[in-house]
Amino acid sequence: MSSSPTSGSAVAEVTMPQMGVSVAEGTVVEWKKRVGDWVEADEIVVEISTDKVETEVPSPASGRLAEIVVEVGTTVDVGTVLARIDTTAIPGEPHADEHASPADTGNGHAPPISPVVRRIAEQHGIDLTQVPGTGRRGRVTKKDVMAFVEHQPAEAPLHIESPYREEGPDAAPAGEPLSIMRRQIGEHMVRSLQTAAHCTTVVEADMSRIEEARGRLSYLPFVARAAIAALREFPSLNATLEDDRLTVHDAVHLGIAVSLGEDGLIVPVVRNAHELSHEGLAARIADLAERARARRLSPDEVGGGTFTITNPGRYGALLATPIINQPQVAILDLEAVVRRPVVVGGDSIAIRPMTYLCMSWDHRVLDGALAAQFLSSVRRHLEEWNG
Amino acid sequence: MPELTYLQAISDALREEMRADERVFCLGEDIGRFGGAFKVTDGFIEEFGPDRVWDTPLAESAIVGTAVGAAVEGLRPVCEMQFADFISCGFDQLVNVAAKMHYRQGLAVPITVRLPSGGGFSGGPFHSQNPEAWMLQAPGLKVVAPSTPRDAKGLLAAAIQDPNPVVYLEHKHLYRRTKGEVPEGRYELPLGEARIAREGTDLSVIAYGAMVGVALEATEDLDGASVEVLDLRSLVPLDTDAILGSVRKTSKVVILHEATRSCGVGAEVAALIAENAFEDLDGPIVRVTAPDVPIPFSPPLERAVLPQVDNVKEACRELLAY
Repeated sequence: MSSSPTSGSAVAEVTMPQMGVSVAEGTVVEWKKRVGDWVEADEIVVEISTDKVETEVPSPASGRLAEIVVEVGTTVDVGTVLARIDTTAIPGEPHADEHASPADTGNGHAPPISPVVRRIAEQHGIDLTQVPGTGRRGRVTKKDVMAFVEHQPAEAPLHIESPYREEGPDAAPAGEPLSIMRRQIGEHMVRSLQTAAHCTTVVEADMSRIEEARGRLSYLPFVARAAIAALREFPSLNATLEDDRLTVHDAVHLGIAVSLGEDGLIVPVVRNAHELSHEGLAARIADLAERARARRLSPDEVGGGTFTITNPGRYGALLATPIINQPQVAILDLEAVVRRPVVVGGDSIAIRPMTYLCMSWDHRVLDGALAAQFLSSVRRHLEEWNG
Repeated sequence: MPELTYLQAISDALREEMRADERVFCLGEDIGRFGGAFKVTDGFIEEFGPDRVWDTPLAESAIVGTAVGAAVEGLRPVCEMQFADFISCGFDQLVNVAAKMHYRQGLAVPITVRLPSGGGFSGGPFHSQNPEAWMLQAPGLKVVAPSTPRDAKGLLAAAIQDPNPVVYLEHKHLYRRTKGEVPEGRYELPLGEARIAREGTDLSVIAYGAMVGVALEATEDLDGASVEVLDLRSLVPLDTDAILGSVRKTSKVVILHEATRSCGVGAEVAALIAENAFEDLDGPIVRVTAPDVPIPFSPPLERAVLPQVDNVKEACRELLAY
């Protein structure tokens, strides 16, 4: 973790941690401590949300939280100082502000939401965390929420003199703000489309061998294993491009897209995937997916990927053009495996479990021939699978 | 419009009802020759004679009981308790006989029982009480508690003409201190209607009797806050529409009364609000009342027990800042 004590000083800084090569910034979600609180080393001081992951940042040192620099909801670059901890403080001393405001009990509970405020907020679809509170301990009062309602732009009034309208559709519903995760996925995807020269190449693979070999495993670890083998043959796809700097990686850190249902999508990374067999990959993928759905991934587990596989095929789709997971240069898409009549052995027709391997790649880094060669290699490893 | 004291307004109402309606008569301790402990009936015996202005023995049960019998026979008696505190001696006749007569026998009991109530003059525990909550627990009684001379006259006239037994709380502290314009001639104000003493938007103070004036003074200039003061005037029937209307407007409520706290009018009003206007509240319902103790003789102790302007200011400030 990149929160580190500043040597030779009485102050330790809590900073926005670096979480893998692609994470540039993070958002403060919740402060677990308030200014004046005593904090033990490694105790959680703040919850942050980075690209797709929510995580907790521990204190780099024991001391008293002297200053909160970044408020909740603010997004800052990696390395930005979030808070400062006075390491010369002594535990047990009263807070500096404890006598300042007798109303502020500081018991850590959020101020209450009164019934009328809750009702008004519900009627107007207001997120109360967005309303500045002027009541005791920052409680949102009825006046606060009413002022907020009055200053909301484009809020359709409940009643106008006449309900008659010349033309036009009904007033659009006010909608709800996107979750932090959805916003970040959206920003990431749009940035990727604006950055990379996306092309998608498709090959068809016969999965008969895999079908025989896989037992109770899914196709995914086999395709991952085949892709890793192909990446060893064509290492220029196991790369990251940041600005004009291309880095071809020795190790394969394989990102696996995991759906979190309606909440979004997350891409945990199997580190050093090239060292793993398909069984090892299966176990690692299962573990990461389970922890991703339980929201228990650490930031390091979702960053630093060098190549990504996405696997929505179990929902029956045949083809897709995935968006590259920046700053990687290619993403492989495994779609449904479907039994189809195919020509085999030159002039016979057989029924085989077939799939399309779709790969989006960055035309800035490679060309179509290499993409096709790579995909053909993946296909070969799948069709000639021998465990 | 002439300006009268609260006491003169009560006296006027009584006199005018007696002049206009010969069924009306008064009975009580020392109300005849002496003109009453507070001189409400001063000159009455001279004008109406001893047949309509009775000096009774010191026996409240007899006063109320006699009045009940007279009322059933078609008269409209007005009983004076010398002090509200003494109603306890006439309690059985009031809450069991008068209050339930219509339910049991279908007979109207149009009596009025005047209760000079309240403290603030070192009267001590037997001469300073506000016993209205007792009456609220006796279905069949109406209970009024005016705060102004105008209301005092109109509500007493209405109480005398009402077919039900009505308990009329007249606050002694207001008798000669409170003056106001009072319409000449007979008029009635409906029982069961509260009055907005001052309009406001930020907080409601709900009070009655002497505390209405305290509420108005305390919130006259409260850091620029717009404070509504609702004068209940009638405790039974309670004007629930006016109470809930005020709460829906301001969302913050202080209930103020001089009577003791537990199971008082404030508790009833608070429960009414919590049941019917919960979703309109923007803060806790706050009561400012006397604590559950007897009223002391000692002036500084009595001041500490009875709600003062500063207590109300503090409670309002606290709730406004919530």
